Amino acid sequence: MLKYAYNMLVYGTEPIEAGIARLAKFGYDFAEIVGEPDQITAAQYNEALSKYNLPVSSIVSIYTPERDLVSSNAAIRANTVTYIKGNIDFAVAVGAKIVTLTPTACMKIKAEVNIDQEWAWAVEGAREAAHYAHDHGVRLALEPWNRYETYLVNRLEQSIQMVDEVDSPGIGVMADTFHMSIEDKDIPAAIRKAGNRLAHVHLADSNRAAPGEGFLDFTPIVQAIADINYQGVCSFELLPAAGDIWGVLAGGKAPEFLDPYTESSIKYIKNIEKSLGLI
Amino acid sequence: MKNKIGLSTFVLASPFSDNDLSLMGKVKSMGYEVLEICIEDPSILTSDAMNVAAKNYGLDISICGAFGPDRDISHEDPTIRAQGIAYLNTCIDFAAEVGSPFVSGPMYSATGKTRLLSPAERKQQFDWAVESIVIVATYAQAKGVKLAIEPLNRFETDLINTLEQGVALCRAVSLDNVGLLIDTFHMHIEEKSLSESIRLAAPYIFHVQVSENDRGTPGKGQVHWDEFFATLNEINYEGMIVVESFLPTVKEIARAVSLWRSVAPSMDALASDGFEFINSKVVQHLKENKINGA
Repeated sequence: MLKYAYNMLVYGTEPIEAGIARLAKFGYDFAEIVGEPDQITAAQYNEALSKYNLPVSSIVSIYTPERDLVSSNAAIRANTVTYIKGNIDFAVAVGAKIVTLTPTACMKIKAEVNIDQEWAWAVEGAREAAHYAHDHGVRLALEPWNRYETYLVNRLEQSIQMVDEVDSPGIGVMADTFHMSIEDKDIPAAIRKAGNRLAHVHLADSNRAAPGEGFLDFTPIVQAIADINYQGVCSFELLPAAGDIWGVLAGGKAPEFLDPYTESSIKYIKNIEKSLGLI
Repeated sequence: MKNKIGLSTFVLASPFSDNDLSLMGKVKSMGYEVLEICIEDPSILTSDAMNVAAKNYGLDISICGAFGPDRDISHEDPTIRAQGIAYLNTCIDFAAEVGSPFVSGPMYSATGKTRLLSPAERKQQFDWAVESIVIVATYAQAKGVKLAIEPLNRFETDLINTLEQGVALCRAVSLDNVGLLIDTFHMHIEEKSLSESIRLAAPYIFHVQVSENDRGTPGKGQVHWDEFFATLNEINYEGMIVVESFLPTVKEIARAVSLWRSVAPSMDALASDGFEFINSKVVQHLKENKINGA
């Protein structure tokens, strides 16, 4: 039986409590929240979370040009490790077990130096953060992004390779079905290959809308997740169809991502669980 | 009419020049009937050399455009719009001279522009695109050439992502020689359903490009090929079907393509295996191509 979360990132500037209330209303097990502890503190979340008795599964980290684990600027690399450690502290403060990690700034699509050097920096930074995470009872989830968002780790098998090189219990791999719909040849096979390294899952359809809105076949994906005995959380990370998603969200132009997709996503995947006899 | 299967020069050499035309021998030997030549740099291509090679190797030629920042027919600066129109007219001249039925590509904007615009700004961009396409299509009409406009996924353009939006653009232009190029790679990201989007756009579909979800070898990934070809049969599509991927060295639109790794054992293997797979699907689904008329 899967556990479900919904990434509140897409709720934009709406008050936290309204989002938490929505997740509770539609039967979610967890909230997934954005890791910007300098902007919204753990205390602000905890108030709403305890009111609705909803825990947080995971912290989604935001990687900008100032938060780039493979920047050629050593100060930026160090700053990135500091940011991830801050998100680990934030996870502890809200009771989350997962912090997402991608080693490059989002939408950076070209290496600054050679790829081998950048890969080594990524492993080094991830290892320091993974040790810190493990010491705090948290696990990092290394997320591949599609080719338009990064050039370094695009496929699950690359994430597996990096996680194996980091070699720490504080880090695992992450599967996001939207990115995998562009980059991987066979999503269920990739998930099976990840096995017990799989630390976190993002579900979205081929067009990044709610499952059922595109043409991904989620039945074999859910079966693969169940078959590897995945104990983590499946979070719906749905985002608008735009290169500039931040702008769309800031403008409040994604109303279908509020009630409609929050309701339909969990319903759709739970129905698949039922059809497979998993619940 | 039998559907002809082609290969894009983006798989072979970039920027493609007259010096690369001898690659046609290899393309022909793989089984292809068409070479789709992308005019990245018009100064290194001549229609005379293209025609000689086409006759020599027994291939048809189709023409596709590449739309870098200086070739933007919906840009706010009229000078850049004019450059985009001039470039498209050059492509139309090539098409007329080498017998390509159309010029294809995402001609409505520079590729790689993904900005958040207000509805008014977006409408202005759309209107500039329409205005420019009318000028270009009128020029093309006189030369017996069509325009096949290609929707691109959200990461490559902010103007036309879906077939439905493409149809809206064609309707706004409202000229008989303006239709669409549909591409499975972009459709796999943007469409809710391959079959429904194809049915919706059916009268406008002038050209088809096939590419796997990761731009690797067709048949080795996630694209719903049987649904795609069965629907092309349903709408009686008689045009070309061109296999497209990109060399990692592609220049004019590198950032837009964002292909940072090899997606097949080699580009030759992609082209060769891609032909075998696409041909098998064409024979299986498209009735005019079926063996023994079955």
